Amino acid sequence: MNKHIKHAALTVGLAIGISAYGSAAFAQDCTTKIGAVLPTSVDWGKPIAATAQYVVDQINEAGGVAGCQIEMVLRDSQVDPKVGVDAAKALVDLDGVQVLIGAVSSGVSMPILTSVTVPAGVMQMSCCSSSTAFTGLAQEGKTRGLWFRTFATSGVQAAVGAMVARDRGHKSVAILYKNDDWGQDIGKLIAADFESVGIEVTASVALNDGQASYRAEVTEALKGQPEALYLALYPKEGTAAVREWISLGGTQNMIVANSLKSDEFRDNVGLQYLGNTVGTDTASPRSESASAFVEQYTAHFGGAPSGPGLANSYDATMIALLAMEAAGKDADGAQIASMVSKVTDPSGTPITADADGFKQAREVLAGGGSVFYQGATGNVRFDANGDVSAPAVTWGFSDAGTKELSFISLTDVDAFMASLK
Amino acid sequence: MIQHLVDGILVGSILSLGAIGLTMVMHMLRFANFSHAELLSIGAYCALVFDGVFKALYPPLGNVVGPLSLTWALTLSILISMTITAASAILIDLLVFKRVRSKGGELSMVFASFGVAMIIRNVLGLMFGLQAKLYSQDIVFAVVLSHDPLLLVKPDQIFSLVAALLIMVILHLVLAHTTFGYALRAVAENPNLSQVSGINLNRMIILIWIIGGGLAAAAGVFYGLTNQINPVLGRDLLLPIFAATIVGGIGSIYGAAMGGFLVGIASNLALLILPSGYSPAVPFLIILAVLIVRPTGFFGEERA
Repeated sequence: MNKHIKHAALTVGLAIGISAYGSAAFAQDCTTKIGAVLPTSVDWGKPIAATAQYVVDQINEAGGVAGCQIEMVLRDSQVDPKVGVDAAKALVDLDGVQVLIGAVSSGVSMPILTSVTVPAGVMQMSCCSSSTAFTGLAQEGKTRGLWFRTFATSGVQAAVGAMVARDRGHKSVAILYKNDDWGQDIGKLIAADFESVGIEVTASVALNDGQASYRAEVTEALKGQPEALYLALYPKEGTAAVREWISLGGTQNMIVANSLKSDEFRDNVGLQYLGNTVGTDTASPRSESASAFVEQYTAHFGGAPSGPGLANSYDATMIALLAMEAAGKDADGAQIASMVSKVTDPSGTPITADADGFKQAREVLAGGGSVFYQGATGNVRFDANGDVSAPAVTWGFSDAGTKELSFISLTDVDAFMASLK
Repeated sequence: MIQHLVDGILVGSILSLGAIGLTMVMHMLRFANFSHAELLSIGAYCALVFDGVFKALYPPLGNVVGPLSLTWALTLSILISMTITAASAILIDLLVFKRVRSKGGELSMVFASFGVAMIIRNVLGLMFGLQAKLYSQDIVFAVVLSHDPLLLVKPDQIFSLVAALLIMVILHLVLAHTTFGYALRAVAENPNLSQVSGINLNRMIILIWIIGGGLAAAAGVFYGLTNQINPVLGRDLLLPIFAATIVGGIGSIYGAAMGGFLVGIASNLALLILPSGYSPAVPFLIILAVLIVRPTGFFGEERA
């Protein structure tokens, strides 16, 4: 008896399932999967994933991509390279995705790129990885044009640092950088940038985490008696090093990376010594499309996009979907990747970063034209290595914390960076 | 070159103070105490608190002493900090090490000391926050001792060096010329035999913790005075202090004092040869070299 009821229930359930499937199939006859590997288990990773899903929902409402609904299969990277690679492998091998969104950390994106997406010919689009190691890889041709990111590299900040030093007329600069991936990267970049604007680098000294004293390192940097000091440090060792530096009579002309934009650093060094300090940082563009994103996001999520990488995540997902639309149904990763330039073409039709923009893009692309995506991070344009540039700001310390000194537009940043090469 | 040498001596004096306490504990209690450096943190924070208290109670104490950034309040605080740190060291021994000692072996003690170090570090972090703190926000400018070759020294560092040397001399006099010193050396030589001679072993252990804790507190304050105070201060100094102890030879107080200076100088001079990114490896290299060439350290004796 019992068994019969169960059986009947199952049959009914199955019938409903099939009919539900049938009606969905009637509206749209296919589903395309895309993969996402994002650190959803950490609190700042969740909004990044939610933003990506938000884009997918918008596009599905607007009729999907190339006639198909998009299903984003999201997997947690746990900010762990091993977990990230496993997740990406599953998405590529089992779900058969041709586009992978992720990861956030450079250290996770890199192994996914080299061991999963490139070998499988899948396009990878990261919202947030900033290491210039990717640029190097792309230059060697090892990314096969499958790699893109919507986050500016450390190169922008280094270039702006060199720009500040040049504008202030410094002839010689010493560099103190943190001895980690980020610090080594930016330390190398800024040294090259200083050289190319004709500023002598008197010393480039690495500082290790948790050292008892930075006296010896600071003495080393002082030797060349530079006119200015460049700091790519975090507040803890930054404070210790700068206090040593000033007490040993080093110059108070300092240029610092965004990592020192901290009250701890300002308070412990003392505002009276930081009058001639200029900081650099990358910034959101001051464009209509960027403010439109903020409005749209606030309306949907009930709060302004305040976490890191949200605008970048939006653009990463949107550009990936636009490229899929341009490549057409059943395109493979390489074909989709080759279409990225077509949807970020400065001479194309400008489209907005929302469902309407996508619909417009669909028409333009169907007519054989190209579009220029006006994104949440401004007019996104990838260079040959899949890198984007970003506007920058310079800032100084003030009683209230920090204050913006100047805004350097994307055009100016691009022009300056081009002049360095 | 000369600047690196002088810097090394100045940093070395702090390491020496830490190493003297460590070498005594390691020799008498026969275990590698990885929580010793945390006593420096306790000392540094303790002085920070009392510095504030004294300044609030009697504002003229906030005046600086001569050309130093050191205030009279902080000078007093050093003495109080030494007392409290010594008391904490005894308390830790009573609560943890004594119990482990009676039940477990040498290795259990080492692991227990790891645990104690972590607890102290995190409690300090909870109480005072993870951000760096300073005794004085002012930056005292270094004095030019000589222009060619350029030699810059901060007054605070000279004070630390002199104070550290003074403490070492006092300790030497106590150990060499008092019955207590004699008893201490007897315990170090052979705990069982010394008990036969009527020395109270437990009292000796407490005295060792008092000396170790007091010296560590002074080292912690001197470090805070010339650098900055944060909860991981002990962890950052642990390795150099261990290196100093091993170089000097475990159990040798004079060896530890010399080891501190040697490690300080070597770390500073290393920068002349090695890229700066590798300087944290120097204490390790020193430990390795000493262990290979002379496993007992320069002043150490083989233990029966």
